[in-house]
Amino acid sequence: MRLLSRIMSTVAIVGVMGLGTAQAQDLSFMSFTYAEEANTATVQALLDGFNEAESLSVEPLGFAWGDMQRNIFLRARSNTLPDVAQLSERWLPTFANLDSLVDLNTVYGQETLEATFAPDALAMGNIDGRQLALPLISGSIGLVANKAVLEEAGVEAPTTLAEFKEALIAVRDAVPNSVPYSMATKNNGSILIDFMIWNWVHGGSIIDAEGNAVVDSAESRAALQFMVDLMNERLAAPEIDRPDSRRLLAQGASAFYFDAPQTRTFLRDFSGQGEAFDVNVLPLRTPVLNEGDASTSVQWGHLLVQFAPGGTASAEDPADKFLSYLTSDAVQTDFPLKMSALPVTNSARAAVADDAYLTAWAEATGASRTNEVGIWSNAADMTTIIGEEVQGALLGQKSVDDAIAAMQARLTESMANATPAG
Amino acid sequence: MAAIDTKLSHYPVSPRASRRGLKAGQSRIGLLMLLPAAIAFAAIILYPFLQALGLSLYQYTVEMMSPQWTGLSNFGRLLGDRAVWGSFATTAIYVTLTTLGTLVLGLGWALLMNQPFRGRGVLRSLSLLPWVLPSTVSAFIWGWIFNSRYGVLNALLLQMGLIEYPQAWLSTPQGAMLAVVMTKIWLSIPLFMAFFLAGLQNLDREQIDAARVDGAGNWAILRDHILPHLRPVLIIVVVLGVIGNLQQFDTIYALTGGGPVRATAVLSVEVYRRAFEQWDIGIASAIGVLWVATLLPPAFLYLRMLIKGNN
Repeated sequence: MRLLSRIMSTVAIVGVMGLGTAQAQDLSFMSFTYAEEANTATVQALLDGFNEAESLSVEPLGFAWGDMQRNIFLRARSNTLPDVAQLSERWLPTFANLDSLVDLNTVYGQETLEATFAPDALAMGNIDGRQLALPLISGSIGLVANKAVLEEAGVEAPTTLAEFKEALIAVRDAVPNSVPYSMATKNNGSILIDFMIWNWVHGGSIIDAEGNAVVDSAESRAALQFMVDLMNERLAAPEIDRPDSRRLLAQGASAFYFDAPQTRTFLRDFSGQGEAFDVNVLPLRTPVLNEGDASTSVQWGHLLVQFAPGGTASAEDPADKFLSYLTSDAVQTDFPLKMSALPVTNSARAAVADDAYLTAWAEATGASRTNEVGIWSNAADMTTIIGEEVQGALLGQKSVDDAIAAMQARLTESMANATPAG
Repeated sequence: MAAIDTKLSHYPVSPRASRRGLKAGQSRIGLLMLLPAAIAFAAIILYPFLQALGLSLYQYTVEMMSPQWTGLSNFGRLLGDRAVWGSFATTAIYVTLTTLGTLVLGLGWALLMNQPFRGRGVLRSLSLLPWVLPSTVSAFIWGWIFNSRYGVLNALLLQMGLIEYPQAWLSTPQGAMLAVVMTKIWLSIPLFMAFFLAGLQNLDREQIDAARVDGAGNWAILRDHILPHLRPVLIIVVVLGVIGNLQQFDTIYALTGGGPVRATAVLSVEVYRRAFEQWDIGIASAIGVLWVATLLPPAFLYLRMLIKGNN
């Protein structure tokens, strides 16, 4: 009997402690930046700051960038979604139909949001007039170079495709065992970005505004042929994903690759030199086909979404106070800079206008274009299709013509089953 | 001397005694002991499988809040899906190569470990190392061996002057398949070796010695004495190997992710890609059901042998 009462007491104590733990946090925040070793302390400081300001605590749920979509998807199926989640801008259309996603216009008011946020940043979270996300940081995906490697190879920043290729050859010949351009060749999501940019440079497009696949064109074939030639001439290499590109550039084994402005933070970490490496980080205009063409880059940003039962919330909810805090001037004039990215509010952008790196980045990448695949609800399927076909051509498994023709056919089929996002 | 009364009916019988008696009690205890395993099986295998079986009859994508009944249309779609048929072919190649490779090398290693030599015990223990290591760790080790930039294999070949530039082994369909097959063989050899070694312990040494006196060589002894003796073990090992290799996912996904393109996309990887990269749960479930169907023949064979053996 004594044993039984001891067991029951232990169970009761554990139960109470468990309940206490479960109730200790006022809201949960799922974030991939929190899971990045280099940025965990920065995000934790944000959460601590919020706790100090509002006396509300946040339970951080860190998941790697590549695992975020899967986790949200599974949590949506099991009704265990977090209160707030961080998304890449291209994922939003995939989740736009979740009925627990809050239209933040109903919480803060459309006029208030439009007055607070920079239009380009706010637009990333807007689908069919519903403000399904608020921007956290913004920027664009553009070309980055390692200045020290360019100097070692004796080349200037290229402006045209011809100059770009000459620079790559010079790097290949001057820097042994280097990958002159760390083109994405492994991961479908990263391959999509590189192909999309080179396709734009050549005047091509993947999907038109009406949702038709238009990749079977002379321009797109030229773009893919350009990428294949880089592989054949050992100016790019297989088995490269974005993290590999960052490491190669940071270690002086690569001269160019495409990334968001956040790259500076990664390069500081991967080079082991910290801020001393900043002098080598050179944002560049994407080379153009012909002198005088407009340079191009892809719109990029991190978003914040709120999940609530029935998709309804009020500004007084802990999650909405947290969103307000993350987009306040106090945070926006500090956090984006630590992440080497642009703030998203008008006032914060004005306050950091003299930041040399961000100014250089903005000048280099110019007006960025929307990810033409990411705006569709079947973006995941299309990413797989484009990634597989481009990779097939890059690795010599199929000809450029076959890859483009197959891509067109598969994209057409995919778009036939797709519904526009939202 | 009085005769012993042998008629059972003349002895008093307890009114509580049942007709089934002791045997029934034993059966009840047996069932009771089976219960925890049965509950665990039902919760983590049977229920998810039945759910997947159900979902294979629905259309269920990320855009839909609830699944929509479509009957057998997912299976109809799969009939015309070349990618899925490609996965079947890739799975067949992978299972054949891994099972055969492990069989030959596992048997060879067992024969070696069965010979008396100094340090045999230590070497036998070390042979189990790949089996002890988590499979994903092994996959990453092999990933580094084959890595095009930092890999040991390239470094070795470059140093020997056999290649001029580092080779991207994992970027060719053949290289990637070879890598995943080698990794799985390396992982499975200890288990196969243990089975064969156990079988070899029962081999009559005198029979082998007599064969040698009669002039039989090593090959003849292997063919005419060892292999026939190991036949039951061989069959069990092959069936278990086929089942295990059909189920393989973690090493393949960690090493190649099913690529390059789709070169190592076996059925398990295909299910994962459809479910968690293309967010099509209905199709993923349908492929999963077909995948289970490929597992049924070897599983049936194995169970039949097991039951036969027990009888």
